[in-house]
Amino acid sequence: MYRYDEFDERFVRERVAQFRGQVERRLDGSLSEDEFKPLRLKNGLYLQLHAYMLRIAVPYGTLNSAQLRMLAHIAETYDKGYGHFTTRQNLQFNWPKLKDVPTILELLADVEMHCIQTSGNCIRNVTSDQFAGVAKDEVEDPRPTAELIRQWSSLHPEFVWLPRKFKIAVTGAEHDRAAIMVHDIGLKLKRNDQGAVGYEVIVGGGLGRTPMIGKVVREFLPKDELLAYLEAVMRVYNSEGRRDNKFKARVKILVHETGEEEFRARVEEEYARLDGPTINAPEEEVERIAAYFAAPTYETLPEASQVLEQARAIDPEFDRFVEQNSFEHKQPGYIALTIALKEIGAVPGDMSGDQMRAFADIAETYSFDEFRVTHSQNLVLPHVKKDDLPAVHAALKAAGLASANAGLITDIIACPGLDYCALATAKSIPIAQAIAKTFADQERQKAIGELPIKISGCINACGHHHVGAIGILGLEKGGRENYQITVGGDATEHAALGERLGPGIDAEDVPAAIEAIVETYLAEKQGSESFMETVRRTGAEPFKTGFTAFIESRAVESEAAQS
Amino acid sequence: MAKDHRAGSKVRGEKLPAILMASHLLEGDTVFKTDAGWTRDPSAAKIAHDAETAAAMEAEGKAAAAANLVIDPYLVPVDLTDSGLPVAKHFRDVMRQKGPSIHPDMGKQAEFPPLR
Repeated sequence: MYRYDEFDERFVRERVAQFRGQVERRLDGSLSEDEFKPLRLKNGLYLQLHAYMLRIAVPYGTLNSAQLRMLAHIAETYDKGYGHFTTRQNLQFNWPKLKDVPTILELLADVEMHCIQTSGNCIRNVTSDQFAGVAKDEVEDPRPTAELIRQWSSLHPEFVWLPRKFKIAVTGAEHDRAAIMVHDIGLKLKRNDQGAVGYEVIVGGGLGRTPMIGKVVREFLPKDELLAYLEAVMRVYNSEGRRDNKFKARVKILVHETGEEEFRARVEEEYARLDGPTINAPEEEVERIAAYFAAPTYETLPEASQVLEQARAIDPEFDRFVEQNSFEHKQPGYIALTIALKEIGAVPGDMSGDQMRAFADIAETYSFDEFRVTHSQNLVLPHVKKDDLPAVHAALKAAGLASANAGLITDIIACPGLDYCALATAKSIPIAQAIAKTFADQERQKAIGELPIKISGCINACGHHHVGAIGILGLEKGGRENYQITVGGDATEHAALGERLGPGIDAEDVPAAIEAIVETYLAEKQGSESFMETVRRTGAEPFKTGFTAFIESRAVESEAAQS
Repeated sequence: MAKDHRAGSKVRGEKLPAILMASHLLEGDTVFKTDAGWTRDPSAAKIAHDAETAAAMEAEGKAAAAANLVIDPYLVPVDLTDSGLPVAKHFRDVMRQKGPSIHPDMGKQAEFPPLR
């Protein structure tokens, strides 16, 4: 893991002191709310429906046990005993008090964490593949790139007041788990024909009210040219992105309105003008960063573990957990393990202080003191010895963290929605809870297979509904909460936006509507096709037909109930 | 800068009776205007039955915001229960009166009697 050097440490400490001063001036009245708001947002502090909310950056989703223990301490001392992992691999506290926030930031700085650039119109926390450094299909670990971008973009003087927020995701693997096609900039580490490592650069993806799939702006960028090229993209966006209309201010709109060819030409023109060598990181700095992400000292082990096989053979629950939540590791004898924060009926992404402490112990003992946050609001133990899996499972189970549903229909992404969020138009979490309860039966979940459902409580799409295999968008219609349903969205290398099935429905009808969609899938499915494979083959039509039939049957039931 | 807070009532049509709701600067908690100042108890909110009272409360809210006591004060149209307590007409405002629906143990609903 990356460790702060003296510059990082000083930068974060200075920022805490600045914010303490800003809060003092706000409280004594010398700063008005209009003056204070942009300052607090730059430090991740929002005002929500019931309280302030503090968003803590988790750079590329990597944390250690000391950091998680500190988060548990903050949750229990300054909040209501829990935290919420988000779709940006960050953590949010929902109940901090303004007067406590400088102290919370101080505590975070003690464990090399901060809230800088988790809000506001700047380059946000860089996200990455949760299996970085672990996946077999990886060209190169994306974390050194993500860290390099974090350092370059932190308080970059030119890019702290962009037209709008800016999100960058990096993957080093063939299979995209970082949703790079729907970020402002997506980077994919790849090899060219000569075997050199570089980046495919994708610009202009995004969700929100105008969802777009990103465009490949550079097929292959030599690795050492990254920062200068990013700077060229940012300069074009910073000078030409719209500032007159918030809803048209993201880079996706600029790329769309300018046209892909013309945008590419402008970036290349800007790039040619830049003095690359003065911008790109020196090789020794790149190497210094990369050294922090060297593989841990694995034991030399056989691929198969007898301990694991025997435990699986006698414990069906454990067997099920391993089958569903483990991910193949490139190191023989190890696996990466997904911890789904998705117990049936729980709030997706929530974790109590007790669970944090228990999990910190597990990560420290069994995963080289490291874990990851996923954009699906789950956690990952990246390096678990197969021999240790029975003990890890027992410890997870004791902490209520052994939900065997990673990737299944009950592993739902949901934004905070109207339960907390000031922007929300409808509830999101209770919809996820109701769907999870409907499909609670493990055999049924297994029969349905991989099916990512994603729910947003407003058009801003924090719940990534556009790229859910089933997407659910909560809106207000006629003074009531109303839910639109899409199918066929995909956040991977097959990126696609979901297609709407029909009119919006009431909250209480959503679980049955999802059942109707699942029935259509099971009827249309050929062989071992996943839900997404079926939708890709059939298109949305059969699902629309099934959905229409569902709506009609509901109308008949409702009429019968009223007569 | 993007607005991070969607203040203001979303109710269309009849705006009275109404209460005045805001966020407390220091705590961030939802507060309601009373004759004496501000309360966290949704049952104790002052109710404006006529436009003049509502306008006066709104002005007091703006003054309190200017004095750095509260943030984003706005009038919230309500229905009255049989016992005369104000229940917001819009579900978003109801959420602020009660607390998160997923956590009955948190927010106003955990501390104060329900609006019945």
